[in-house]
Amino acid sequence: MGPLEALIPLSAVLAIFVGMPWLFLHYVTKWKQAKTITLEDENLLDDLHDIARRLDDRMNSIERIIAAERGEQPRIAELRSDLNNIELRPQLQRRDRAI
Amino acid sequence: MARRTGFYLDKRNGKLMGVCAGIADYTGFDVLWVRVGVVLATLFGSGAPVIAYFVIGWVADAKPGSVYDLEEAVPEDRQFWQKTRAAPGRSIREVRSSFRDIDRRLRDIELTYTSPNHRLAREIDDLRQQ
Repeated sequence: MGPLEALIPLSAVLAIFVGMPWLFLHYVTKWKQAKTITLEDENLLDDLHDIARRLDDRMNSIERIIAAERGEQPRIAELRSDLNNIELRPQLQRRDRAI
Repeated sequence: MARRTGFYLDKRNGKLMGVCAGIADYTGFDVLWVRVGVVLATLFGSGAPVIAYFVIGWVADAKPGSVYDLEEAVPEDRQFWQKTRAAPGRSIREVRSSFRDIDRRLRDIELTYTSPNHRLAREIDDLRQQ
């Protein structure tokens, strides 16, 4: 058995017991860094998302009021969001209370 | 307050322990495909998925009722959080873009009300009424 052949099992053992966990842990830490947000950031994002949605609803109703004031027909998109609002309205109020 | 980005067992929609339903709820995949995937992995592979299933079912927490209530109140929130789990940065940018959209619409309204044309038209209207 030559010295080269003795290296083969050694390198295999190294690759399996050192290389593999290294690779695995390396990508796990990278993945965790890339994907997690802290609890505070999460609550902040939740709030912002909620505020954006409410502002969007208010903008829709204001745009509708202005359109009505000018005697214009409401646009199709506004009508569609109206329908959504009618469906969501009681549930939205429930959520406001929950907060 | 319960975390919205955490992994939970979805006991209400689950069949056995709610692990597959939880994975589906977490990732946004259809629950049927998750179940089919687990079953196929068990049939064609080792018994590892079964062990993993019970370990997850034992270790993970069940989804709190408050989160169910929130999802019931605003169904689109569920998709929003599924996207946030996959890529928080993207959903933060989405929220920013919706704020920009609101800003743009508000600016349009402001422009129409402060523009000279609008004021002139209103004054003419007032004169007509007199």
